[in-house]
Amino acid sequence: MSVLKVNQIQTANGVIMANLNSSGANIGFQLASTLAPAFSAYLSTAQSVSNNTFTKLQANTEEFDTASAYDNATNYRFTPLVAGYYQVSGNIAFSATGGIVGNTVAVIYKNGARFKDGNLSGSSSAGGLFYSVVSSLIYFNGTTDYVELYGLLGGSGTLTFGVNSGTQSYFQGSLVRSA
Amino acid sequence: MTLYEKIKALYPELQDIDFVFGTILLQNDSDGNGDYIKSWTHPTLTQPTQEQLDAIQ
Repeated sequence: MSVLKVNQIQTANGVIMANLNSSGANIGFQLASTLAPAFSAYLSTAQSVSNNTFTKLQANTEEFDTASAYDNATNYRFTPLVAGYYQVSGNIAFSATGGIVGNTVAVIYKNGARFKDGNLSGSSSAGGLFYSVVSSLIYFNGTTDYVELYGLLGGSGTLTFGVNSGTQSYFQGSLVRSA
Repeated sequence: MTLYEKIKALYPELQDIDFVFGTILLQNDSDGNGDYIKSWTHPTLTQPTQEQLDAIQ
């Protein structure tokens, strides 16, 4: 049996692919950040929405975006350039100030089409705040595939996606296994 | 008046759940272009024309 002892794997032209650490806090095999896309972004100001209309969440504040694969300014979409299987999740808070919250659901769209639904709430509570969460394992081709997070809020009053310092409405994703 | 409200004015028999499961899918892509009808596959009610929608105040 042959044993190869290295601390780092690089391409022939010197691009770091992975680090192998045997001690300290970062022990283990670590893919370079660009090879393991992960992002988390949240909505920073309340977003007004129309009744019973699937509306894209404008998750505009990034907590991290290791491969610069999430667009937090224009399209609010995640387009990783590493093919593989990703865990994608999102949460939306639905608020109806001065009215009633009806049906609510968060939905992951893939390539512009409805792809996976989250939990559906059907309430009739005055002035309520409801959450819907959605999570799915999704294949990306590493070139053109992308996902976005939409929410539907039925009800009356002033309808918004909630904020609360970034804790309520957010969108996240991470590579689980390459293709 | 929102697009949803106009459609409800035209078809008051519609239930909110019709807008959840896709027989009538209203969408807003947060790109500044507003609400629009993404798809309409209701089994009995026909999709309203833009003229019908514009006529509702």
